[in-house]
Amino acid sequence: MIYAEHLRKEFKKVVKDPGLKGSFKSLFKPKKEIVVAADDVSFHVPKGEMLGFIGPNGAGKSTVIKMLTGILTPTSGQCRINGKNPQTDRKKYVREIGVVFGQRTQLWWDLPLRETYSVLKEIYEVDDDRFKKRMAFLNEVLDLEDFMSSPVRTLSLGQRMRADIAASMLHSPKVLFLDEPTIGLDVVVKDNIRKAIMKINKEEQTTVILTTHDISDIELLCDRIVMIDKGKNVYEGSLRQLKEKYGNIRELNFETAPGFSLTEDEFRSGLELGEDKMTVEKDKNIFKVRFDSTEMPVGEMLNYTLSHAKVKDISFKEADVEEIIRRLYKQGECENE
Amino acid sequence: MNRIGKRYVPFMKAGVQTLIAYRLNFFGFVIGGLIYCIVMFYLWKAVYDSAGGDSFLGFTMTEMVVYLFLANTTTQLTYSTVSGDIGDEIKDGSISMRMIKPVDMDWSYLFTELGAAFMKVVVLLIPVTVGLEIYRYCMLGEVMFRPLNFLLYFLSVILAYIISFRVNLCFGFVAFYVKNLWGFNILKNSIINFLSGSLIPLAFMPDVMRTILEYMPFASMGYTPVMIYMGKYSAYETAFRLGIQIVWAAVMFGISKLIWIGAVKKLSVQGG
Amino acid sequence: MRRAWKIYRLLAAQNLKRLMEYKVDFLTGAVSFLIDQAVGIAFIFIIFTQIPQLSGFTFEQIVFIYGFSQIPKGIDHLLTDNLWCVGYFIVRQGGFDKYMTRPINPLFHVIAETFQVDAIGELVVGIALICYSAGSAGLYVTPLSVILTIVAVPFAALIYTSIKIATSAIAFWIKSSGFIIQMVYGMNEFAKYPTTIYSVPVRVFVTFMIPFALTGYYPVVYLLTGENPLLNTGIVVSVSIVFFILSLLIWNRGLSAYESAGA
Repeated sequence: MIYAEHLRKEFKKVVKDPGLKGSFKSLFKPKKEIVVAADDVSFHVPKGEMLGFIGPNGAGKSTVIKMLTGILTPTSGQCRINGKNPQTDRKKYVREIGVVFGQRTQLWWDLPLRETYSVLKEIYEVDDDRFKKRMAFLNEVLDLEDFMSSPVRTLSLGQRMRADIAASMLHSPKVLFLDEPTIGLDVVVKDNIRKAIMKINKEEQTTVILTTHDISDIELLCDRIVMIDKGKNVYEGSLRQLKEKYGNIRELNFETAPGFSLTEDEFRSGLELGEDKMTVEKDKNIFKVRFDSTEMPVGEMLNYTLSHAKVKDISFKEADVEEIIRRLYKQGECENE
Repeated sequence: MNRIGKRYVPFMKAGVQTLIAYRLNFFGFVIGGLIYCIVMFYLWKAVYDSAGGDSFLGFTMTEMVVYLFLANTTTQLTYSTVSGDIGDEIKDGSISMRMIKPVDMDWSYLFTELGAAFMKVVVLLIPVTVGLEIYRYCMLGEVMFRPLNFLLYFLSVILAYIISFRVNLCFGFVAFYVKNLWGFNILKNSIINFLSGSLIPLAFMPDVMRTILEYMPFASMGYTPVMIYMGKYSAYETAFRLGIQIVWAAVMFGISKLIWIGAVKKLSVQGG
Repeated sequence: MRRAWKIYRLLAAQNLKRLMEYKVDFLTGAVSFLIDQAVGIAFIFIIFTQIPQLSGFTFEQIVFIYGFSQIPKGIDHLLTDNLWCVGYFIVRQGGFDKYMTRPINPLFHVIAETFQVDAIGELVVGIALICYSAGSAGLYVTPLSVILTIVAVPFAALIYTSIKIATSAIAFWIKSSGFIIQMVYGMNEFAKYPTTIYSVPVRVFVTFMIPFALTGYYPVVYLLTGENPLLNTGIVVSVSIVFFILSLLIWNRGLSAYESAGA
């Protein structure tokens, strides 16, 4: 369905020294450097899958998404959807995709929402019959009726996002790109949007590619994730695999009895685990210890804790996805330094 | 004074840096002005050729060229973008960011512009003046440059700038009522260009109209300094015209303050 | 083609609906350009109070040229104003993404999106001046001269459009090209007066390099003098086609250099 092959994108950037002097310098001698925003990114998404595309800020997610949607031309490499290439066959290509950028809207700002759909109907050549059915479906999934006649500028962020998703789905695209669809939304609205996305994916087998910083989006929606950092693939696989691979991290929580004093370093001192194998956080008399259970089995850790501290309450749990991803991002930072 | 002034230095630096950052835009406008002058030069040349005779309404061709280029330069020097800046800030709400800073609003705008004005003197006024004096020397065979006139011109330009700044400050607040600021700006500029004599010397206009326009603030914004530079005014008249400029500067200062007080009320009602 | 027309009408209609919401702005825009033109005419009028003719042209003839030159300018202004926005901010702020993800030609989409009624100021002044001066300008009126002049109008407007397409496309490489459009577009000042008043290098420049002379003076020479009918209109038509093709080439290369905004 979707193939991304060795995508690479370079940007030229003018570097300016700080201050007034720097401004003068760049006035006469602009220094340019090449920034590689995406480097050898490859992956494949089969039909009907929901793929989570994640990475820290500035990792190159948007660049890859923009190449996949035909907005940017790759410096090298190529992408194809159903065998079509966005650079050579843009018009046919974009008919197959729907795009939503959470930070930007494609709706006509000053006009009633309804107008946007009637314009898009013509742009995408949706015939009257199909349009009616389609609007009924989108209305059912996204609940647009209440604000169909309101000017777009008066919509709330949640309403606008629903309207934008509907706009991108009007022409029944085979692939839907969602760039941070839940950004800035409250918990309830987020939940509604996620349900709508799930329903669209289920009923129409729409392939969804989603970027987000909200890990619960990924956990609830995505079958598989691709993680990139510094412009490169760092992980590709299912969430389950990710948990298996990095899931040996355990979190130990315990509360010391009143009157008993213990510092992080004191707790640490009896163990020979480095910063990368174990982290200790302390808040008043509550400790949070994250450790690698292959280095130190859970039983041993339990014994150690009980023998070194007067414990009032204690619990262990598996690390969640957010924790795993935090560690992956951190690793990237360390390797770079 | 020194300590108060210091608070505004960052605004001035920001002004210079913005001009440099948008230097290409700036050069675009300078070259635009130059093209306009070239077109007008040929038009005036055709006019003088068709009229026969050396003088046209009391201006020789050489004087006309000096007037044309200097009036254009003076307009650029005294041109204030403050109306657009305030308009944009009212529209996007960032004007409230300026209001929470411990400085006077109008002074912060003024210092931002002064940075740019300094750059304009260096890259525009000095080359144009040198160029015009060389031109005059070639045409007339003698050095026409009068340092006293130049100094008085400079003084008059400063007054002209103060008036222009204050007038534009007043115009900025129409952003509360008008959305098409681009169109409004064109309207404002073409009216000011006409009434300030930068398009046609006011001396060419019918007597009644000329007399009225000479007393209006617009003439003080462009025509007066150029006439002083060209030595068209007697000593007495120069003093008189400078006096009118001072009066207008004071009047516009008062009006802009009054409008500002009203605007602050409106802002606090609208919530920025 | 029919689809293009349908989409154009639809997009233009949206634009007009929006304008109806902001009637004051529509008025401000139209009146602004009207006054801007009126000031230019006042200038010519004041000159002619002193001289009977300018380089062999009467007041009415100069006014005719001036008025005619505003019509192609106004048509282009009416139809393709959004190109300014491409150069000033659409590309820089990444707003061009939208056009790239739609199944219609991005250039067509950009142009169709705005219908700039401000231009009515220019068109009204242009037509009024032509009507006022046509009777007394001593025109050489034959069916051929009228037809050739009318034929030249859309091509003259196309010169404006081509210049705007090419200069706004530069933004794809350097992010913001508003100043370049401003600079080059500003040369339309040359179109307002008879090209014969300029020196030879300037004439060559405004005929073939930045061919604004072809939007004002050339199309009406035949009407004014009865000379060289086919040559004048021929130059206008052929130069405008060449410029249009060149501008499309630049635009299309620009599309693949588009860098969007953000990371």
